[in-house]
Amino acid sequence: MNILIVEDDRQTASFIQKGLTESGYIVDHAADGEDGLHLALQGNYDVLIVDRMLPKRDGLSLIQILRAQGMQTPVLILSALGDVDHRVEGLRAGGDDYLVKPYAFSELLARLQALLRRTQPAQEYTTLRVRDLEMDLLKRRVTRGGTVIPLQPREFNLLEYLMRHAGQVVTRTMLLEKVWDYHFDPQTNVIDVHISRLRGKIDKDFDTPLLHTIRGAGYLLHDPQSA
Amino acid sequence: MTRNLLNTSVFRLSLVYALLFSAVAAGGLGYIYWMAKGQMEQQTDARLQLETDALLNLYRSLAVEGLTGAITMRNSENGSRYLISRLIHRSQQDLTRDLKFNQDTQRSKQIVASLPFSLITGEKRHSEPARMMLTLLPGGYQLLVVTDLKEQHTLQDRLLQTVLAAIGIIVALALAGGIFMSHNVQRRINAVSRTANDIMSGDLARRMPVTTRNDEFDSLSRVLNTMLARIEHLMQSMRDVTDNLAHDLRNPLNRLRNRLETSQFQPSQPTDYPQLIQDTIVEVDELIKTFNALLSIAQIESSAQRQDWVEVDLTLLIEELADLYTAVAEEQDLTLSYHAAPGLQIHGNRQLLAQAITNLLDNAVKYTPAGGEIHLAATQQMSNITITVADNGPGIPEAQREQVFKRFTRLDNARSTPGNGLGLSLVKAVAELHNATVQLHDNHPGLKASILISR
Repeated sequence: MNILIVEDDRQTASFIQKGLTESGYIVDHAADGEDGLHLALQGNYDVLIVDRMLPKRDGLSLIQILRAQGMQTPVLILSALGDVDHRVEGLRAGGDDYLVKPYAFSELLARLQALLRRTQPAQEYTTLRVRDLEMDLLKRRVTRGGTVIPLQPREFNLLEYLMRHAGQVVTRTMLLEKVWDYHFDPQTNVIDVHISRLRGKIDKDFDTPLLHTIRGAGYLLHDPQSA
Repeated sequence: MTRNLLNTSVFRLSLVYALLFSAVAAGGLGYIYWMAKGQMEQQTDARLQLETDALLNLYRSLAVEGLTGAITMRNSENGSRYLISRLIHRSQQDLTRDLKFNQDTQRSKQIVASLPFSLITGEKRHSEPARMMLTLLPGGYQLLVVTDLKEQHTLQDRLLQTVLAAIGIIVALALAGGIFMSHNVQRRINAVSRTANDIMSGDLARRMPVTTRNDEFDSLSRVLNTMLARIEHLMQSMRDVTDNLAHDLRNPLNRLRNRLETSQFQPSQPTDYPQLIQDTIVEVDELIKTFNALLSIAQIESSAQRQDWVEVDLTLLIEELADLYTAVAEEQDLTLSYHAAPGLQIHGNRQLLAQAITNLLDNAVKYTPAGGEIHLAATQQMSNITITVADNGPGIPEAQREQVFKRFTRLDNARSTPGNGLGLSLVKAVAELHNATVQLHDNHPGLKASILISR
């Protein structure tokens, strides 16, 4: 997986580069908008991480040019500008996701994975499966090892999101945004409570835990034996 | 000052208005004068005709001799120069040579003309004009009836003078009114700009002058004053934020520094490092949260987000939030119940409303001891909507209920719980953005926080 980072702040860039390289990605770095555009048009990247405020050419116009050229590569916008207006502007310019600084590296990684996942050929599943956990999207029914697990509608949505991103770290913010559509941080960790309830239903009575808490990052639904 | 006055648009406008008004008035008065003059002349001519007709009747019955006698008698009887008649033979003085007969009047043998009086009397001193009617009689006689125009002219002159004086007075009054008006307006404007200058040079407490007249300048001043108060409030809250920030962030930053310093000088087991790093991350996350909370409060207070308002289904929002927090409450061994009146709609920002209600729920969950009850409700009375979060925890003493809305305020019993003291500030900011108020009441026991949205 090739990733291009377009970021003028040297420290931030090398921090992300280091982190992503350690996570197994091949990373290129461009320090200004012109270089970034040049590299993005030439290289074959799976995802671009673009800062908004860049020397020579700003991030939004860079993305607009890429989109105008018909390039479909997913773009994650990184910016200190975090207003609703800014985010909307970024997504309208052609960004696929928007992360506001300061951010946790775990969230950056989780969002990148979500973006990469989306680029894979779209396949409409009617059943999601992680090991013996099965979700029938049509009947809205969840079973594990053949046993039906009754879930509240919101719990169902939560599990669906986790199953669609199985094998990827999902942050609390992502869950609150995608499952509840709230774009703010509650002071108490409501997500933790809902996850622990869900865990109680899908993991408690079974031998192999599927839903894992990743300290300081978020949650991960995966089959330990497949890894 | 004079040059200033000439430059003002008010003066220029009143000048144009004055000139226009004067022109109309002058036209009207001129017309009246012209009509009056015509009327007087018509009357004079009618009188001449009447006298001539009377004399002609005498002439028809008494012939020339009788007429001469009658004329002499009438002239002496009248005794004035107002109406004089003469019968003059054309061999003696042919007045038709002096008065030009035109085609029409020649046929009727009558002519009317204005001439110097001296022509008739032969005396040089009677130079004023006179009106005369000349009738030609058979046998070379000419009957002349003359009236003196002196009085008529005096009257006309007086009328003209009056009209001119009236026009003069109108122009003068209009100009004076214009000057007075523009001076007045200029004075009010000057007062406003002086105040604005004072404010620009740093005196933020200054306000625009408001008189008792309650005119448009006063309403303008009042609007400006409201704006200034708002600006001053925003500046003040910005200053408060900066002060509070400097003060409140010093502690956590210091803790952070100490922790890092300690680990540098007293190397612990390498196995301790993950824990140290984890704690540090938690601490930094808290700092970031505080910053974000402050930023969003500041943003909400500056009302920068009103453009993305939508119709929010409050009933649904309350149900969703109750659903989100029921689990949290149960975790703390609390009961959360809720009631949302059906079909509650308000125009607003869904995210911010949700965040405000969440903050109230957060507080309720945090401060209510195990076994307690929390009730979330949204009700409507007339067009007013009330969102209430009630708990039966310790509540807030009445004296401190105002204070808790200030940024970074944390009551003593809250020191042990996590939080940054910004939750209620945000609730207040969101409420004010939606033209609502937040009230804290005693729930006997516990706290009842209400957001009152009036529409």
